[in-house]
Parts: sequence; structure tokens; C-alpha cells
Amino acid sequence: MKESKNTGVYICSGCNIGDAIDTDKLQSIAIEYPSVKQCQVHPVLCSPEAYLKLNDEINEQQLDSLIIAGCSPRHAPDSLKFSEVHSESVNLREGVAWVMEAGHEDTQAAAEDYLRMGIARTAASGLPEPYIPDAPESDILVLGGGITGIHSALEGARAGYSVVLVEKEDKLGGRLNNMHDIIPASGSKQTNLKFFLEEKLEELDASTLITVHKNTSLESIEGEPGKFLAKLKNGKGASECKVGSVILANGWKPYDPAKLTNLGYTDHKNIITQVELETMQKEDRILRPSDGNVPSTIVFIQCAGSRDKDHLPYCSNVCCLTSLKQVSYIRQKYPESRIFIIYKDIRTPGKNEHIYREVQKDNHVFFTKGRVDRIEKLENDSLRMIVEDNLLGETISIRADLVVAATGMEPNQSDDLHLLYRKGEGLPDRKYGFPDSHFICFPYETQRTGIYAAGAVRTPQGIQACMEDAGGAVVKAIQCIESTKRGEAVHPRSGDKSYPDLYMQRCTDCKRCTEECPFGSYDETEKGTPLPNPARCRRCGICMGSCPERIINFDNYSIHAISSMIKSIPIPDEFEEKPRVLAFVCENDAYPAFDLAALHRHRISPWLRIIPVRCIGSINKIWLSDALSAGYDGILQIGCKPGEDYQCHFITGSELMKTRSENIQETLQTMMLEPERIETVFLEIDEYHRIPEIIDDYMETIEDIGPNPFKDM
Amino acid sequence: MIEISPDIAFIEKLQGATGSQLTTCMQCGACTASCSLSEDQDVFPRKQMIMAAWGMRDRLMADPHVWTCHQCGDCSVSCPRGVKPGEILAALRQEQIVHYSKPAFLARWMQKPAFFPAAILFPAAIIILILSLAGTFSIPEGPVDYSEFFSHAWLNGSFTALFVLSTIGAVIGLRRFTRNVFTQRTVQKTNPDKPDQGQSPQAPQPALRGILTVLGRIMSHRDFNSCDEQKSRSVTHFLVFWGFILLLFVTFFAILSTIFFEYPLSILNPIKIAGNLGAMMLLAGSSFMILNRLRKRDQSNYADWFFLLSFWLLTFSGMLVEGARFHEWSFAYHLYFFHLVMVWIIILYYPYTKFAHFLYRTVAMIITRSGRQAG
Repeated sequence: MKESKNTGVYICSGCNIGDAIDTDKLQSIAIEYPSVKQCQVHPVLCSPEAYLKLNDEINEQQLDSLIIAGCSPRHAPDSLKFSEVHSESVNLREGVAWVMEAGHEDTQAAAEDYLRMGIARTAASGLPEPYIPDAPESDILVLGGGITGIHSALEGARAGYSVVLVEKEDKLGGRLNNMHDIIPASGSKQTNLKFFLEEKLEELDASTLITVHKNTSLESIEGEPGKFLAKLKNGKGASECKVGSVILANGWKPYDPAKLTNLGYTDHKNIITQVELETMQKEDRILRPSDGNVPSTIVFIQCAGSRDKDHLPYCSNVCCLTSLKQVSYIRQKYPESRIFIIYKDIRTPGKNEHIYREVQKDNHVFFTKGRVDRIEKLENDSLRMIVEDNLLGETISIRADLVVAATGMEPNQSDDLHLLYRKGEGLPDRKYGFPDSHFICFPYETQRTGIYAAGAVRTPQGIQACMEDAGGAVVKAIQCIESTKRGEAVHPRSGDKSYPDLYMQRCTDCKRCTEECPFGSYDETEKGTPLPNPARCRRCGICMGSCPERIINFDNYSIHAISSMIKSIPIPDEFEEKPRVLAFVCENDAYPAFDLAALHRHRISPWLRIIPVRCIGSINKIWLSDALSAGYDGILQIGCKPGEDYQCHFITGSELMKTRSENIQETLQTMMLEPERIETVFLEIDEYHRIPEIIDDYMETIEDIGPNPFKDM
Repeated sequence: MIEISPDIAFIEKLQGATGSQLTTCMQCGACTASCSLSEDQDVFPRKQMIMAAWGMRDRLMADPHVWTCHQCGDCSVSCPRGVKPGEILAALRQEQIVHYSKPAFLARWMQKPAFFPAAILFPAAIIILILSLAGTFSIPEGPVDYSEFFSHAWLNGSFTALFVLSTIGAVIGLRRFTRNVFTQRTVQKTNPDKPDQGQSPQAPQPALRGILTVLGRIMSHRDFNSCDEQKSRSVTHFLVFWGFILLLFVTFFAILSTIFFEYPLSILNPIKIAGNLGAMMLLAGSSFMILNRLRKRDQSNYADWFFLLSFWLLTFSGMLVEGARFHEWSFAYHLYFFHLVMVWIIILYYPYTKFAHFLYRTVAMIITRSGRQAG
């Protein structure tokens, strides 16, 4: 860390800041600090003149750190970012001027406090020195040679990266090899597979950047992004490859139809799955398994085990379309056949609706919503379907020669990665057992940095979507490689050069950091001492929040720096009846929500002091006791929504805070303090309108319980 | 429980009759949602659409609900798949009439243009036969007096006989219809899975109140008026309906007059005035119906046109016949003969053309109402 000794403070008076706050007074406060070498007020700090001026002053005054007191750090212009100088923001615009009464003494006090906090933080922070692994690798490892893997390899190679493609079978193509045609079926002898498989395999063969390992299993992966070491094994022996990032594309498996006891899959010979029917079509023999006769009435059961809480609770996205495709096979082959489709809802996303409509036009195809209650065996191994909850309003029975169960897709095990990580060899399962970390905000990202899931292992999807996935995952893999080379965080704090630095002499091997890191950054020695892998780190600071010894710190975000901020401001004594509430606000969604509230000019209590944190999970307990000792009357911890539809950018931060809050409440009781002194709030970004109410309610609570007894001690 | 065995020929027939790709119905229920006549218990016409798409002919033939529809077209406009449920229901109604009619050949005559000559020549030949028997099959001399051509006794006698005969046909058809409806209803209710519902093998006796309600609805055109899409249909039907009823009464009094009083009546006679008013209502209403069809606001097929045009020609020729009498037109008797043929066509074929809707719909409405009260 390059320490901050010569700080320049620049106060912007534009955007109503000058109207609401006495900026000259701020200037006189700043200049009193010994670390502050320079302090100036500027009417428009984001102007080109201001940039030139700052640039000159950094050189003339040998400034090593800057404090920009103006707008929210989220809005601070790029022109005020100087790569060689540590920089902090003091939020006078959204934090004070726009949300508090102009010219009021409390408003002025808030502005002065924020400036003091900024100066204190800067003094305890510095320009981070990045962690860059020795000779980082640029190759991409793709696990799985199906359509997603093939397309990932091609996309990687097209972007100029070398790709190692590992397939356990003797042939690339995965499940496409067992398919007759893709959706929509071409309807002619020349199926669409040519474009989706054969042409890609030709391009793959021609590429010099792609190395294909067939008949090969991945034995293990160790290391971190930029420095992964993958061990491969095939019939000829073991080999190793060094790669920068990994794409997991090991695909899916059909849901086990034997589990569908209401259909009696194991009891009846003439019930098959879509996968089996596809193979039959590929071999050109769609016949009854029991006697080899041509089936005249075929029933498709959609959602066989899908959207069913006892089996697969989700929709697999392609089964409806697959059935429609297979109907077209059968109708083409057997013009006299009759086909029934029993569905929960026909789901044909996007333009695929046209496929549904085309199949419907066939007078021999009958659709109904319904639920197959049971299947009865008739003579000659034919079957009778008893269908309830259909649209006729009474039980119907359909005699079938052949029944096709549309079973859903299950992801293959991510354990196939065989990660030599302390936190397990696979990826942590998220919703429904898929390893994706957040499908809206962070598609392809898994909970292991540098490893990206694509295709049906990420989420159930069809071939076209798998190819899109492949492209997206490759871009992510490249971003990871390039960011790691620069020593920057990949995501979501893209470009952050800081990383957790452990002062190992004081480590007690308590394993809190290794346990709580959502991303498996920490391995450990046999003794249990943590072994950090900074390139796996997402810089959330959850380990910093967890460490009871407070030995985990970032160059620009440390326990000491935040503690100094807390202690840097004067707390009015109780007789003034001006409580002080400290709010730790998550930078990801809650802090932007405060900015939005300011944009709407919502009024926020001037007795609140906000400290932005990287994640609500990064709040260390010492900050809470520091704040209470300093005399703050209450503490708010505001973070993203936890739970099933969590919005925590670091996945488990909010969950962790829920657990830690319980412990904190106990501590409060031992300190003879009211539990209301520390409150946790979960806020979604679009709930900015709730903020004034949340703050006011809390202020009332504090008023009710009275001042902090530690005040003035 | 119902065994599903689709009648694909029936699906194709409905498609042919309506030009609707009815199997592309995705059972979304927009038709039911937009229908002002559908009630909670009926799921109408969505359910009929499923049965049609599944070729469930037997069920549909025994379904009185197809008569609930007054073909306003709201459903066809709101259908996202453009499968025109209103027209499917119209085709089903026509199909029911054909299905239940006895003798069946008369119903078939109404369906295809190939039988058009037979359908016209048959009544013409019978009238010629009757006139020949009466010995008056020639153009009389002197001022126009239609009774010279067709004596009132022969006219009243033969037309009453014809009306009785065709009404017997209508009653047979209706009886077959109601029987089938109640049999199916019993089958549906006797569900082994839900035994508590299978209790009424006998047809529920329609309550008098139910009948009166239905007649009230018909006379006021309340169901027609609830339509959004084609308000004008209600007006035209109202004119035709009340014009026709007026003329029925007038005809009744005219027959009485021919027997007990003087005939023809004076132009200022209230009965005569009512007759002329009725004829004008009928002519106006049916002319608008024809115009609406020509403007393609209403879909129609041969059977529909046959009925509507013969009705219009009946009215128009009747008015000409009256005019011919006052103005002593030389071709008055030719017009009169033509008019008589049209009268025969209407009376002879009424249980087999779209005209039968007044019977089937009334009975079906009573059945569905009473079923609802019983249920």
C-alpha cells in the first residue's frame, strides 16, 4: 500500500451544494488537519478546467491522495480519477445538500462530519497495490463437448484465445448425437443438425487454437483464476494443462422416469421418454417396444415430473417444443396416426409459438390441458390414460398404443470439476440445484470465480439458447483472464485493485473466513491456517467482517479506516437533544437507493451519518462497539434482500448478517443496552421511497429509548 | 368418464362449413370471457370449442348450449387464434337440425345447392297438382280475384294440411333432440367416480316459471341486445320477429274472414293495416340481414342464404301480389303462383331450414334454464 500523507481536498459548490452548505467553513475545517496539504472550493469540479487544475496540483504539491467532496461516489466523473493517486469521495450532494434543509445548522453539521470522516478514512487508507499471479495463463478450459462446449471453444478461438476442450466420450456433440433433428424439425431428410453440429465440428477441426481431448476425464482443478492447473486422464495416461479460466458445459440428464410412480414407467413396456423416442426416430423405427407394431394412437404427457414440487419444481423450457417436434416426426411417418398431448400449459417461448400453431393445424393432433391421474393396462400391452382436471370438466379416458413421457432436464453434477478447494469439489447449488449465481445480474457467473457455467447445466434450455450461453460464458472467461492479468477484481467490483491482506502472525486459525467466504477463496493448511487465493476473491469484505482478530484488511477498505471514520466526528452531548445515528449502507443496492431518494429530493434526517460498505456482510463487530462507545445513539445496517429471491451481490452477505445480528443482540444485552440500538434493514433498490420513512421510524425508536448511556464517557 | 375417440371427418366437415382452422384453438377462453351470454356454470363456448376440435360429434349433437349463442360475433372478434367460435357454433346448430330432422332427405335438400331444383320444383309441382285437382289451373278473366285462381276452400284446406304435416315433422325432430339431450345428461351425471351426482335419470320437468322467463327473453330480445360487436343484428331480428308474428295473426284472421266474412278485406280495415305493417317490418328486417351478409358482416353459407332469400322473396312477392290486385296488373296470377310456391317452401321446410331455430332454440333455452334451476 502506498500510504496517504499528502492529501488534497477539493470541495465542489455546484449542483446546489454551495446554496445549502457553507463551503468556506468546510475549507477552514479541512485545512486544520495535518495530512491535508491543500484544500480548495471549486464551482464546477467536473469541468475540464478543474481536471487540469487538479492534475497540476497533484504534480506541484506531490499529492498522494485526493478527497473529492461533491456528488455521490457513484456519480463522480471519471475525469476526477487519477490512477496514481488514492481517491476518496465525500458525498455532499446526494448525501447532504439534496436531502436536507439548505442553510440549517444541522445540515452544515452533517456536511462537516462527512468531510471529517472522509479525511479520517483517507489518512488510514492508500492506493492499493494489486495482486497479480506469476505469469498468468490465457487459455480457457471447456469441460464438456456438447453443443455448448463446442460453441464455447469456437467462440473462444474466434476471439483469439487458446481453448482446451475436454470430452469424456469418444465423440464430440453430446446429446446432439442421439438426436434426429433439432427444433424446429426440417421435415426433410436433410435435417438441421448439419448446421448445428457438422459444420461446427469442421470449424473446430480447422482451428489451430483448439485442443480437443476426447475419451478424457478431468481429474482435478487446483489454483485460482489465471493460474488454474487442470489434471486430465485418458486411456493413454495423465496429462496437465494450465489455464486462466474454466467453462463448465457438462450438460444435463433426463429426469429419471422410474420416479414417476403415477405413470408406472417401469410397469408398462409401451411408456417411453422423449429421449427414447428421439433415438427411435434416429434409427427410423418408431414402434411399440412390446411387440414392434406401428402405434396408431400416441399420447404425449407433458410436464412428466416437471413443475411438480415432488419431482422437478421448475419448467425445463424445451419439453413442449420437443414434443411438438416429435409429433411432426410421427405424423410424417404415419399419416393415419392420432396423437394426444396432455399438458399443464403449452410453453413455446418467443417465435416458437408458430411451431405450436402449425402442429395444431393438423386435425389428427389433439391437445388438452389435464393431469394424468393413472394409467391402466389393457390387453395387448395397450394403455388407458385416465385424465383429470381437463377442460371438459369430467374425467376422460384415452386408449393409447404408445405413451411418451416428456420428462424434464436435470443439471449434471458440477462435482465433475473436481476442484481441489476447501469448500468442495463442485459448485454450490443455487435455486433448484443449478449453479448459476444470479440469472439477471450475473448470468454465467458461478460461486467460484473464474469458473463459468453455460448451457443446460446452468439452466434448462434448448440448443439455440445454449449457443448464446456459450458466447456469454466465453466473454466472461476472457474478462476473468484479462482482469486477473491486471490484478483487478473480475465482478461485480470489476476493476477493483484491492484484495484482502491477512496479517497472519495474529491468526488464530478460527476458520471463520474460510467458512464464510461465499466464493471459496480460502483453502487451508493441514493445521487449519487459511491460505488465501486472492484471484478467486470478489473483494466483498465478508472475510473482513467475519474476522474476530481483525487481521483481514484491504488497502482502501480496512477495519482501522472505518473505525477512524466513526471516531472522527464530534457527537453532541445528550442535553442538546440531537441524536446521532450511524448507518452502514451496502454500496450495491442500498446506497444507490439513497442516491435515488436524493434525486427525488426526499428529506432525510440530518442526524444520520452514512458509511458505505462493500457488503453488509463486511461489517466487523468492532465497528459497532466503536460506534456505541463513541456515543452514537443507534446503528442501522442496511443491505440487500436475502432469501430465496436474494439480491445480495455476494450471494450470502445478507444471510450472514441475519445470523450475525442475533449474536450482536446478545452482546448488546450483556452491555446492558437496548436491542433496538442496532437494527438491520433489507432494502431493494427500487424501494428508495421507503427510505425517509425507515429513517424517521428509527429516529422515533431512538427518541423513545433515549440517549446512548455511553455518551460522553 | 368419457372415452375419447375423435371423429376426424366431423372436424373436417366443421372446417369446411366455416372456413375456420378450429383445431388451432388453444383453449385460452377469450371467447368465454368476451361472451355476454356465457354464465359461470357453462364455460361456453370454450367447452364447445374443445369438443369440436376433438371431433366429439355425439356430445355436440346432444348439447343444448350451442343454442344459447345468438351469433353476435363478440367471441370471433376477440379470438387470438382467429378460429371464429361463433361460426363454429352456427355450423353446429345447422348440424343439429340436420341430425334430428325426419325425414332426413328434406334436411339434406336444404344443405346443398345440388338439390336446389328439387327443393323448388317439389312444392311447385304439388301446387300445380292441387290446382289441377280443383280444376282452376288457368288464368281467370276479368278483374283480379285470386280466389278465382285458387278457391279459398282449397287454399285453406291444402295449406292447413301442409302445415300439420310439416309440424308433425318438427315435433318428431324436437322430440329426438330433447330425448338425446336428456339421455346424454344422464350419462354425464352418472359418473362412477362421483356417485352423489348421478341421481336424476328422469328429465327434470321444466318449471313454468322457467318457460315464461325464456319466452320473455325471446320476445324482448334481451340476449340479442347484450351483444357488443353487432348491435344492428338485434334490430333486424326484432323487426323480422315481430313482423312475422303480426302476419301470423293476420293470416289467422284472414282465414276466419274467408270463412265467415268478406274477403279480401278493405285497405282501411285494421287487420289489413296490421298485415301491411307486418309485411313492411319483415321486408325491412330481412333486407338489412341480406345487406349485412353482403357486406360480410355476417358469415353465411348456402343453407343460410336459401332460408333468408326465400323468406325475403315470400314477403316481397306477397306485397307485389297485393299491389297487383289493386292495380290490375296483367301478370297478377303469375306473381300469385310464385308467392304460393314461396309460402309452401317456408311452411314445408320450416323444420329443416334455419327457420327451425325458433323451435330448437326455445326448447334448448328452456332445458338449459331448467337444468340450471335443478342443479
